[in-house]
Amino acid sequence: MTVARPAAATPPSVVVRDLVQEYPAPGGGVTRVIDQVSLSFDQPGISMLLGPSGCGKSTLLHMLGGVRPMGIETPTAGQVLIDGVECNGPHDDAVMVFQRYANRPDLTVFDNVAFPFRLNLWKARVPEAEWRQRVADILKAVGLADKLKLRPAQLSGGQNQRVALARALVLRPRILLMDEPFGALDAQTREEMQQLLIELYQSWPCLVVFVTHDVTEALVLGDRVIVLSAQPARVADDFVISEARPRSATWQRSREAQALEERILRQLHQASPGRGQVRVTV
Amino acid sequence: MSEFWNPYAPLDGRQRQWLGVGSVLALLLVWSLLAVSGLVSSTKLPAPWEVVTALSYLSWHEGDSLLFTATLWSAGRLLVAGVLVIAIGIPIGICMGAAPRVNAALSPLVDPFRSAPVVALLPILVMWLGIGETMKIAFLFIGAVVYLIPMVRDAIQAVPQSYWIGARDLGATPWECIHRAVIPMAMPRIADAVIVAFSVMWTYITVAEYVNARQGLGQLIQNARRFSAWDQVFAGIIVIIALALATYQFMVWLKRRLYPWETQQ
Repeated sequence: MTVARPAAATPPSVVVRDLVQEYPAPGGGVTRVIDQVSLSFDQPGISMLLGPSGCGKSTLLHMLGGVRPMGIETPTAGQVLIDGVECNGPHDDAVMVFQRYANRPDLTVFDNVAFPFRLNLWKARVPEAEWRQRVADILKAVGLADKLKLRPAQLSGGQNQRVALARALVLRPRILLMDEPFGALDAQTREEMQQLLIELYQSWPCLVVFVTHDVTEALVLGDRVIVLSAQPARVADDFVISEARPRSATWQRSREAQALEERILRQLHQASPGRGQVRVTV
Repeated sequence: MSEFWNPYAPLDGRQRQWLGVGSVLALLLVWSLLAVSGLVSSTKLPAPWEVVTALSYLSWHEGDSLLFTATLWSAGRLLVAGVLVIAIGIPIGICMGAAPRVNAALSPLVDPFRSAPVVALLPILVMWLGIGETMKIAFLFIGAVVYLIPMVRDAIQAVPQSYWIGARDLGATPWECIHRAVIPMAMPRIADAVIVAFSVMWTYITVAEYVNARQGLGQLIQNARRFSAWDQVFAGIIVIIALALATYQFMVWLKRRLYPWETQQ
């Protein structure tokens, strides 16, 4: 890994306290998307938010990063605290990687990754010589050093997500929020991206909160797995996986892994019988 | 022939060209036949070759090119009006697209004019601004800007929200989101709006030059009509069509050069 290694991120403290989010329902009334969720993150690590599709896990992740639904009161109740301060808007320390449509089609790979440094916030924080170096380093780290001048349309889906990942990590965020970033990729590319994330995490250990509906992905990546029920999202289970990464295929077939998988599936089933979809890819 | 009713079937470039040239030639043939046959009197329908003669007369006669001078005048007016349309219309359209409140306030003032009889405004403009250049440029400006503003607004609104959210998340202020993300993403469609504006202005140029024109293609046609020189009227119309087409082709080429990513998507 060639990423220049600055002092690792100061451990962030993210606390979600009794969070409730409701949307106006189409036929009148309200739909509760997030129901009394309380979570706390206080050290670096990869935390997986696992739940059936459409359960509200993306909404929860967006609210952690301060990307709030528009035009309605938000949150309906409860709080998100980052370092003890209530967070209601985009937070400088939290950067999001979206599932798709995040790369600018009009910018080259280099400019996509350098985009944050065109903004006053980062321009004031990072001198140009330094950010140019950082962009070059991170693009090398994600394996796109020879694609600097290409535009997103000339890249594959996996390469596009490498760009998105690079743009987030180039800011050296304390909190990295990933919203099913590999969900639209084919199985093989997804595995490659998971490996890449593990490598990148090792060179910049921060708090990663990673939304997925893929049980295998949760087991391969997670230091901690938080299982959410179908809408409205509640915390159905929350446990730690201590196995070191990368986790071999042998481990994935081990009794421990199988037991964890069964535990997750059972929780999902109990919390949301017959609703939503989860993916198991082994 | 099985590909005939298939909008997605690729068409060989040469075949497309020949079909286009063919239909133009067919029109010329019908026109020539009508003129030769005497079905339509030659005072009402000049033959193609008479129009060509008129074109060459207008292009060069006794050391002077009426056509060139007229084109310069018309193109000059169009250019001045076009610069104003761009300089005033695009910022207004961007503000409307980017701020719902501005849109709510201005759209009742702008949108109805798309279907307003702009030509009927001419007497009013004459009353207000006189019969000089100001009136002509104002007329072209109004005619085009009422198309451009809503198109620019729509271009801004068509940018997917995800880019705005993404930029916000990276720490952009709302204004930075607009000018660093939304406007660059809307540029190809804004360029389309400018292209439409110039096409509209070419169609209005004769009307703009109808009143008291001492120079310009509209005046040239108007003068010819007064003397029933229909060959020259036809020649003038053809020149305007050719200029409008050339403007269009040039601007489309320029747009592709400036925003190559649009077609890559």
